[in-house]
Amino acid sequence: MTGDVWVVLPLACLATGGFVVYLVARLLTSRNDLLALVTALVFAVALVALAPLFLITRATLRTAEGLPAWGHLGEGGAFLRADPGGLVVAGVALGLGLLVALYSGRYLALDHRYETYYPLLLLLVAGLVGMVLAADLFNLYMFCELMSIAAYVLVAFRRRLATAIEAGFKYLVMGSVGTVIILMGISFVYRETGTLALPQAMGVPGRWARAGMGCFLVGFGIKSAIVPLHTWLPDAHGRAPSSISAMLSGIVIQSAFYALLKVSLGLGFPARGLGTLLIVLSLLNMTLGNGLALVQTHTKRLLAYSTIVQMGYIMLSVGIGLRCDVPRAIQAGFFLLLAHAAMKGLAFLCTGVCHFYCDATRITELRGTATRLPLVAVAFSVALAGLAGVPPLAGFAAKWFMLTGGVQAADALGYLGLVAFVVNSLLALGYYLPLIGTLFTRKTSEVSETSEVLPQIRISPWMALPLVVLAALVLILGLYPRPGLALALQAQAFVFEMLR
Amino acid sequence: METMWLVTILGAPLAAALLLSLLRGRGARMAGWIAGLAAALSLASTFALLPALQRGEVPTLGFEWIPAAHIRLALHLDWLALPFLVTEAAVTLMAVVYAWGYHRPDERTPFFYALLMLFAVGMSGTTLADDMFLFYIFWELMLVASCALIAIWGEGERRGAVALKYFIFTHLGSLMVLVGLIVLYDATGSDSFSALRAGVTLAPGLVTTVTMFFIIGFCVKMAIFPLHLWLPDAHAVAPMPVTIMLAAAMLSMGTYGVLRFPLSIFSPAQMAPFAVPMMVAGIVSELYGALMALAEQDIKRIIAYSSVSQMGYILFGLGTLTYDGIAGATLHVIYHAIVKALLFMCTGLVIRATGRRRIAELGGLGSAMPLVGLCTAAGALAIAGMPPFCIFTSEWMIFSGGFHTAHLGLSILTVFGSLLTVAYALWFVGRIFFGARPEGLTVNRLPWAMVAPMVLLAAFALIAGLFPAPVFDWVAHGLTLILGGNW
Repeated sequence: MTGDVWVVLPLACLATGGFVVYLVARLLTSRNDLLALVTALVFAVALVALAPLFLITRATLRTAEGLPAWGHLGEGGAFLRADPGGLVVAGVALGLGLLVALYSGRYLALDHRYETYYPLLLLLVAGLVGMVLAADLFNLYMFCELMSIAAYVLVAFRRRLATAIEAGFKYLVMGSVGTVIILMGISFVYRETGTLALPQAMGVPGRWARAGMGCFLVGFGIKSAIVPLHTWLPDAHGRAPSSISAMLSGIVIQSAFYALLKVSLGLGFPARGLGTLLIVLSLLNMTLGNGLALVQTHTKRLLAYSTIVQMGYIMLSVGIGLRCDVPRAIQAGFFLLLAHAAMKGLAFLCTGVCHFYCDATRITELRGTATRLPLVAVAFSVALAGLAGVPPLAGFAAKWFMLTGGVQAADALGYLGLVAFVVNSLLALGYYLPLIGTLFTRKTSEVSETSEVLPQIRISPWMALPLVVLAALVLILGLYPRPGLALALQAQAFVFEMLR
Repeated sequence: METMWLVTILGAPLAAALLLSLLRGRGARMAGWIAGLAAALSLASTFALLPALQRGEVPTLGFEWIPAAHIRLALHLDWLALPFLVTEAAVTLMAVVYAWGYHRPDERTPFFYALLMLFAVGMSGTTLADDMFLFYIFWELMLVASCALIAIWGEGERRGAVALKYFIFTHLGSLMVLVGLIVLYDATGSDSFSALRAGVTLAPGLVTTVTMFFIIGFCVKMAIFPLHLWLPDAHAVAPMPVTIMLAAAMLSMGTYGVLRFPLSIFSPAQMAPFAVPMMVAGIVSELYGALMALAEQDIKRIIAYSSVSQMGYILFGLGTLTYDGIAGATLHVIYHAIVKALLFMCTGLVIRATGRRRIAELGGLGSAMPLVGLCTAAGALAIAGMPPFCIFTSEWMIFSGGFHTAHLGLSILTVFGSLLTVAYALWFVGRIFFGARPEGLTVNRLPWAMVAPMVLLAAFALIAGLFPAPVFDWVAHGLTLILGGNW
């Protein structure tokens, strides 16, 4: 075992943290707030441990030496490698995880069973971080499985609800098919090249390698909800506890998409072909997602469909960048990934608060939120307006960068995608705006037909803090996108490094 | 010093909005005064910058914002923006004063005034922005704030649906503008307007496409037929101060956009293919708006349709692509703002005094409310283009611009189309203030805060008509800026 210990440190933190939290919960205390605090602490430590890697990778990118790696696998192979793009995704996951852990400190009072929830949350993020940093296909597969299994259990966490079990089971079945297909792809690639190292100089891919890549596309396509492989997502994200939905929609499926990019480009899949495919699929994602989002009656299902749409936007931007060799478009895609994590995380956390205090799950039940939970109404509106791309929020900045990057490509298919994007972003107003409107409508009771004046509810600081932080982030990323753009640039630079 | 004034124009309303949102229910009584003070400050700082402009300086403020994407944050006041900025700031002040009387304070009042202020920031920011990113942010802020005002304080049960329609319709126009902006950004590699002024080279096909996107996008904001569908509902449902700001100030932002983007960037030869379509759309809008105003029953909707008609004149003037036509259109923006604000205020007073909105249920109010009757008559005569009221001057310029072009038929059609304006304007006054008073029509007392701005505006309409020189001077400066020596 040789290499840079920094690379493995965040992962080690999360994995050990998972066991520690479980032991604490079983042996010492089962108080929710304490466990949430410990979990948040683990995330914070992992985030701090990740920070040096950013500095190191920045330095090595400048000096053009190898990236820091850990482990030993054949000639120069490694288990984990701190690739700059993976670091960005991992950083987002850890940050969101930290906020979700704090949020759960109150939210989870609905479910109890703290001793399974917090360790699973940590393992989910551990799997995610391992997957995006993995330097060979075997580890990538292992960590992907770890992440997926944690996610299946968390989706079905409310085990008293038949719908939650159903959603979890559906996710389990489809997700397992996905991982099996990925495994098959790995075996095909291994048959061709005899190595599992991830960026491998393959030259012209042979028949087996091409079949393998098809498998990766389908497998990761399921994981990242690329239409028509998205059918599990609305159920899973709609039925999971809101804190988990925030993680799943905010970063988990995007990390699978990043893994898809990393594997396909690392194995020498032609970027132009991949880009074209992504653009075409993104058209499906945007249009179908929007169409179905328009008819939803449950808030969380609506948000889940909106995730499919936003995933389409990311795919479109990255696709245009790959197809036409435009770095700016890829950067815009990663910027949207960052912005979307904040916006969708915020939106799901807000629905969670409404569910917690007002037992509201349907859109119509959200009436009167503005009088009962003013903070939530404002934060939720910020998130939704951001998703709709209203200036000056993060979603608008992302839209601007996507359009400017996409136009630079000057490509017919790219233009088609952009037109679809603009039309869809208009269509999307059809469900975001009424939702905002509902939040600010007064509740009328069926009996008396008069406006019911409900007292304002004080929400717990455990929930308020993540909401405020995320809402501020959505605003800041929109008004001052420089830091976000710098991170996106880092990820983009790495993707382009793989193309060379 | 100039930078300070420039910041105050936006900063005062913005600070007021923040203050009001922080005060919440505690500020219910002071809210109107805070907003009024901020609006007055904003207007005063606009005038404070006038000497600098006359000295030939260009007050500017700018710094790096997102260097990676070549985006600067830049504000900039030039002669082209000035007429629009003054109009917007003055209308805001009038609307806020009017709101003192119109709006009964309750615990949500501070938010009402805060959103009015944000609406004003959106409009003045749009005229001041010197880069596309900022321009678009302010452009949409204007929409978001006004839409929230309609959705929350609108009249009637349909306000939510109306607000949604308003948002989606106008956002469609905004997206078209955004596409145009992005193409220009891509061509110049910078989002600054100064780069645009230096000149843009685009493929000829792209010039046509971009111009089309801009014109259609801005026409949605101007509510040109058939893109006007959002306007009657939004105007009728919005609370009166908001209607005044929508009709008198926000519609003109579309004109500003047409002047700022296609007209000042592209050469007359590049714009020439759009002349006839713009003129025709203008005439159609003019006639359609006037006919609908004649057919409407709701007095607020009558005045709303009159806006559609008046925006038709403006588009016609722009479409002539002549000095007179464009000067007339810009003047018309200012004068229309005065007169339309006046007419909506009168309408609001009639509704407040009688509690009725249908014109068939009104009549004979002239003896009960003589002052309102007089002012309405002044507004109606002004909108009909009667000398010596102000709109006469601008219509004169627009028609003269039309006769400079080769399309005499169209120009004659516009002149005769204005007859319809006379018809609905006079019918409006006659039906409400003359004739027999219907049974049971009572007249309530009116608050001074609603009457005073109305009287002031009626006086303005007359004074601006008698002495058009100063305002015309501003507009003429602006035109040399766009047209340069080209025309």
